[in-house]
Parts: sequence; C-alpha cells; structure tokens
Amino acid sequence: MSETTVQDQRTVSGVAIRLEGVTKRYPGQQKPAVDAVDLEIAAGETVMFVGPSGCGKTTLLKMLNRLIEPSGGKIFLGDEDVTGQDPDRLRRRIGYVIQAGGLFPHMTVGTNIGIVPGMLGWDKKKIAERTDELLDLVGLDPEVYRDRYPKELSGGQQQRVGVARALAADPPVLLMDEPFGAVDPITRQRLQDELLRIQEELGKTIVFVTHDFDEAVKLGDKIVVFDVGARVVQYDTPEAILAEPAEDYVADFVGAGATLKQLTLTRVADTELHTPITAQVGEDSAAVVARATEAGEQYVVVTDGRGRPVSWPSVAELSRTTSVPGTRDDRLPVVGLRSTLNDALDTMLAASQGGVVVTGRRDSVAGVLVVEQVMAAIQATRGETRG
Amino acid sequence: MTSATDPAVDPAVDAQADVEPGGRRDGFSWRGLLLQPVLVLVALGAFAVWRATADLTDAEARPLAWSALLGSIVDHLELVAVSAVVVLVIGIPLGVLLTRGPFRRATPLVLGIANTGQAAPAIGLFVLLATWLGFGFRSAVVALVLYSVLPVLRNTMVGLQGVDARLVEAGRGMGMSALAVLLRVELPLAVPVMLSGVRTALVLLVGTATLATFIDGGGLGLLITTGINLNLDALLYSGALLVALLALAVDWVGRVVETVARPKGL
Amino acid sequence: MWQYLVDRRELIAFQAYQHVSLVVQCVALATVLAVGLAVLAYRSPRITGLANGISAIGLTIPSFALLGLLLAPFGFGITPAVVAVVFYAALPVLRNAVVGLAGVDQSLVESARGIGMSRWATLRRVELPLAWPVILAGVRVSTQMVMGIAAVAAYVLGPGLGSLIFSGLSRLGGANALNATLVGTIAMVLLALVLDVVLVLVGRLTTSKGIRV
Repeated sequence: MSETTVQDQRTVSGVAIRLEGVTKRYPGQQKPAVDAVDLEIAAGETVMFVGPSGCGKTTLLKMLNRLIEPSGGKIFLGDEDVTGQDPDRLRRRIGYVIQAGGLFPHMTVGTNIGIVPGMLGWDKKKIAERTDELLDLVGLDPEVYRDRYPKELSGGQQQRVGVARALAADPPVLLMDEPFGAVDPITRQRLQDELLRIQEELGKTIVFVTHDFDEAVKLGDKIVVFDVGARVVQYDTPEAILAEPAEDYVADFVGAGATLKQLTLTRVADTELHTPITAQVGEDSAAVVARATEAGEQYVVVTDGRGRPVSWPSVAELSRTTSVPGTRDDRLPVVGLRSTLNDALDTMLAASQGGVVVTGRRDSVAGVLVVEQVMAAIQATRGETRG
Repeated sequence: MTSATDPAVDPAVDAQADVEPGGRRDGFSWRGLLLQPVLVLVALGAFAVWRATADLTDAEARPLAWSALLGSIVDHLELVAVSAVVVLVIGIPLGVLLTRGPFRRATPLVLGIANTGQAAPAIGLFVLLATWLGFGFRSAVVALVLYSVLPVLRNTMVGLQGVDARLVEAGRGMGMSALAVLLRVELPLAVPVMLSGVRTALVLLVGTATLATFIDGGGLGLLITTGINLNLDALLYSGALLVALLALAVDWVGRVVETVARPKGL
Repeated sequence: MWQYLVDRRELIAFQAYQHVSLVVQCVALATVLAVGLAVLAYRSPRITGLANGISAIGLTIPSFALLGLLLAPFGFGITPAVVAVVFYAALPVLRNAVVGLAGVDQSLVESARGIGMSRWATLRRVELPLAWPVILAGVRVSTQMVMGIAAVAAYVLGPGLGSLIFSGLSRLGGANALNATLVGTIAMVLLALVLDVVLVLVGRLTTSKGIRV
C-alpha cells in the first residue's frame, strides 16, 4: 500500500501539531515524567503513541489539551502557539475521547453530544441537527438512540457516542486515550474499523494512546514508540517500525519479525476481494438463484435498502424461499476495508465461517474475503521472510 | 462518630451500608414509601380520636387544645426550618469548597474534627450555648445548626468525591470550565447522596429540637418536659407521639424528594 | 474547672463508670439481639427489606420522645434508660449484620456446604466471621450514638454523666453550673473516643488476618 496516494485522496480537516521541548516535572520527583519532547504531527494523520506503562505517553497526550499543564516547552496547533491560551477555549477545539467514552450518566446521548456546541453558543436547532448527523456517522440510528441514557447502551455503543461527542463541534484535532481498552476483542475490532472509516471521511489529526501494538499498526499512519520520560525511540510508519526497529528495545516491544505480525500490516483493501452476488431484501428468490447459478456462486450476500449486509445464505437455502428474507444474522462475519487480515482471520474464527463480508463506505458491501486468501498472504510473507 | 442524643438515620450508618451499595434502597422500595405515611396517618387519626374523647384535667386540656397543639407544632417546625436553612447555607458551600483543589488536604482534618464534635451530647451543647448566648430561640438554633450540619457537610463531600474522576476529566477535556463541570456534572451526580444527607439532618433536627425546651427554645419538647415535671402523662405522651410522627413525616417527605429528584439515567 | 474536677473526682469517676457500664452492657446486649435477628432474617430478601425498614424508621424516632413513651410501662429510673439504649443500639447493628451476612459471597457458602459443613457450622465458621467487620462497624456507630442517648436518659433518672449536665442546667448562672456541664460534655466526648479506640482494637484482634484491609 502506498501511503502517499491514500493520503492524497483523503480530505484533510485537521491541523498539524508541533511540540517543542515539552516537559513535565512533578515536584518531589528527580526525573521529569516527560523530558523535552520534540514532535511534529502532520495535518490529517493518525499518530499512535505506544510504550510501556508509566513511560509518559498519557501525560504527553494530556498536555496537548492542557489537562496537564506543561512545565516547559511550546505546543503549536497549525502555526498558532497555544501554550498560553485559555485551556477551556483550547479544549473546545480539541476532541477528547477516553475509555468507555466518559459519557455523563445523567444526560441523554443527545445532551452528551450537544455539550460542546452548546458551550460554543450554537442554536438549538443546529445542535439537534448536528447530533443526529453525528449519531448517523458513528452508525447509531438517531431516532433510537438520541434520547437514551448511557446505561441503556452497550460498551461499544457508549464508545461510539464518546467519539460522536468528541467530534461534535468539528474540532481539527482528536485526542484518544486508550479509548477501546475496555471492550471485548470483536467489538474493539468493529470500533477500530469504524474509526478508520470516519477518519477516511473526515481527515482529522488524531493522537491516539494505546498499549496494544496491533491496534497501533492497524490504526496509525505513524507510530511513536516511547521509552521512560516520553523519550521518542522511533517515530515512523508501522511498516518501517516492523521492518527496521530502531533499537532492540523497539524490537522487543513490538515483537517484530514474527511472520503473523505481517498480517496486521496487510489491509483487507490491499487484497483482491471477490465480488459476490448480492440480493436486496424482498427480491424474488428465484431470480436471485438464477443469477447466482449463472455466475457459478454458492452463496449470496443479502443487503438492506442502504446496501448494508444483512445475511449470507447459500443458494440452496434461498431456493427454499419465495422472496429474499430480511432476517438479520447477528453472527454475520463482517470487516471493514481498512481492517487488517489479522482482524479478518479473527472474525472468521469467531464466527466459524470460511469467509467474511467486507464493507466499505457507510457500511455497504464492498466484497467478500475467503480464508484461502488469508492463507495465501501468510504463505507469501513466509516466502519473503525466508528469501 | 454519630449523633449523640438523637439517633436519626445517620450517613455514618449509610456509609457502613455502602458495603453493599443499593442494599438500603432495595430494602426500602416504593412499598416502604407507601407504608410510612399510612403509618403516620393512622397514628395521627388514633391520636385525634383519643384527644376528642379523652377525659382530661384542666391542666392537661389547655396545652392539648387544638390551637395550642398546632402552635407547639409550628414552633417546633420553625426551629427546624430556621436551623435547616442555616445548615444548608453553611453545609453545602463548605462541602463543595472542601472538595476543591487546594482545600482537599484539609478534608480529613475537618471531617475528623466534625466527627469528634458529633460525639458531644446534644444536651450538653444546648446547655453550654445557653450559658454563652443566654436562653431562648437563638441559642437553640445555634446548637441545632452545630449539631446537624455534619451530615450535610459530609454527604456533600462524599457525594462529590464519589463522582467518577474520569467524568470530571472528560468534562474538563471537552472544554467545560471548572464551574461548569461542578454545576453540570459533579453536583447533579452527587444529588442522591447529598439529599440523603439533607434528610438525615432534617430528621436529626426534628428530634434534637425537642431538647430546645430545656433552654426555653419552645417546640414540642415543652409538652414532654411539662408532662414529666408535673406528672401529667397525657401531655408527655402527646408530645412524644407528635414528635415521633413529625420525624417520620419529615423522613418520608425526604425520601419522596430523593426518589423524585434522583437524576434519570443513574 | 480543675478545682471542680479535683473536688469531685470520685463522683465524676463514678458517674463516668456508670455511663460506660450502661453503654457497654446495652450495646453488648443489643449486638447479641441484633445479630440473632439478622441471622433469622438475612436469607429472605423480604424479611431483609423489613429489617432494613424497621432499622431506618426506628432510627427516625427521637430518643427523647421514646424515653417519654417508655415512662408509662416502666416508670422512672434505670429500666426505661436501658430499654431505650438497647433499642437504639440494636438498630445500626441489625442493619449492618443483615447487609454483612447478605454480602457474603454465595460461592463460599456453597463450597462450605459442599465440603460437608452443616448449616449452623457454615454460619458460625464462614458467614459470621466474614460479615464480622461490617457488623463491628455497626457496633461502633451504635456505641457513639447511644453515648448521647444515655445522657438524655439522665432526665428520666437514668444513671451516668447526663446528670452532671442536667444539674448544670438546673443551677445555670450558679457557681459550678458551667463546670458541671463542661465536665459532663467533655467527659462524654472523651469516653466515646476511648470506646471507639477499644472497638477498633477489638476489631483487629477478632477479624481474620485474611480479610483485614
């Protein structure tokens, strides 16, 4: 995958972030928690902060929106020095997402999302429209979820609302502090896909702290590997870090070299997807079966009115019905275009299926990926490693 | 660490019960909320029947005339209301202040002093204040305030401290000012605990205000002491019963308010 | 005040002894009663709710009112004082005992039954020891609370330090009125603190090391 071409296609609504000698000292501690960090983050890029716990990555993140006041150094958003700016005003321009979303339990989903626009003085109608738009963006039906309270949502849904809330006033920068740490692996993978999709649409500058290196490889345009004192050990693309770890420390940390790691580097979009026969809910079954038989297909992907996958029945199953049924298969294996082969394999295993449906923009069907293709990719990388 | 004279439901007890949060609320559900006022009304009805039919001496009948009784109750409630207002005005802002940044260090000290002070018997407090400020309503109010400010103060602090720190950070992180986070996040979330402290204080006040009679502060306690001193049982029991019913009624109103004012979504 | 203390040290010491003795005996009796009731109640959610309700409503009743009501059946003296103090002391212990027993991890109870312990042995060797810290916390609350109730009990001629306060009140403005009140009040605060420390020590000695925090 060529990084630059993807970059060029993207819309960019983020701004660059530049750190100059940013330092945090706590009284009574000999060594600074963050020691004179210089870092430049390009507009519209997702940069992942990884490192052992206590290395100062979270402290550095919180200095970006001044939840922690730096003891020294300068922070620029674009060309603007924000080090001396009123923190509250600054934060309204920076989205902030934490674990479990940090939703206020006594406010409805809609109220939670509308807080920042409200503080910025938007009128009610505009806030309501924006709320619905954002719920739609993160894949939650506004009619259903707008007036619910956070406790009525699942962990993954709360996290989506957390992202929507952070995006409410369309901030150029998004800070995410281990946001997906508290959800189960399958939900986490869905949320990651979702974030990738949203980022593709919006092109924010995202700074994302994680302790999960696979997550960093999957989500990041660039990864910063930190050591104690927030020392930047390596700052590069995931591919480069895996291929050439700067120090033994990095190699140990990322577990580079392991063949299967390469699976996290390959996106579903980079493989050749199979185009399945699709059928809309309610279509005449016989016609669909005829189409599939003509194309020599065993399975048909059923989609709803908006092109989103609903189920994945076999031709034999379909031929027993008169019209294509709309029953939603909750165990349907789905991954996004920006998911990694690792995710795809995980999803297949979890669903005990030999393939996954791949979705693209707005969750519409982009193709299918079968387990043989993943195997082929593993074979290919093993060949490379040997050669 | 709890109250001395009056055994009103104390947050100290609630705090112990917090070992299993919600245990109290489960045990005291809507059924309990309905039972309590019925109990009070039945007892009040029985009292009214007894009062209307009882054969009373002149010395008993005068203070037990309906207008006199009503006057005693109003006096009592006046003591409670004035003290409660002062308690709220002092307790809540002080509790908020003591949970703010620089003052947080003083929290254990203040709570320690307040807890030790609570071990002082209320009757001693009344008498000491009377020697200092003289007999009367004012001394009684001061003693009552000193005595019942702790539950409000403590529950305000406990309630605010109980708010998930990550929610405060989320609020600050999205650009809410410290005041906005306090008003829109921390206080609403602390409301259930704070209200429970207010109810505790009110019940404590109703009970403790009976002692005001010892320093000429008036109220229903006067019926009890007069009854004991002059050996007029009818007065004694009327006073005791009415105070108990009043405390139960105030407690019930407090519970209803707590149930209604509990923020949705919790 | 010092002179006052020295002059009447014997009387004060005697009243302090009476006060503590009343409180300790009543709390001990109340604890036994309350834990007994809790053992009967905690297995049924309905009775547990009832016990909590009684505890909450009972604590609402003003002690001075209850003392007055108790004069009818018991007359003046030590009996109404004891009954009132035991009543109030039992309520926090009851609530905490119910909460503590209900809070014991059910899987532990099952494993105790599973290795062949009888119901009684399970209660005595597993449930009560595990609930003990919570029960003891209730005992501490009770003790602090009834110190003051015992003071008011002096008005119905109960024993203890309350009589110092009431004698101060009756001679207000007189020579030793302030001294008597102050000594009575401060002595009660001090005794309450001492008893609390004692209960904390008892807690350390009687709580299994495995569940101490």
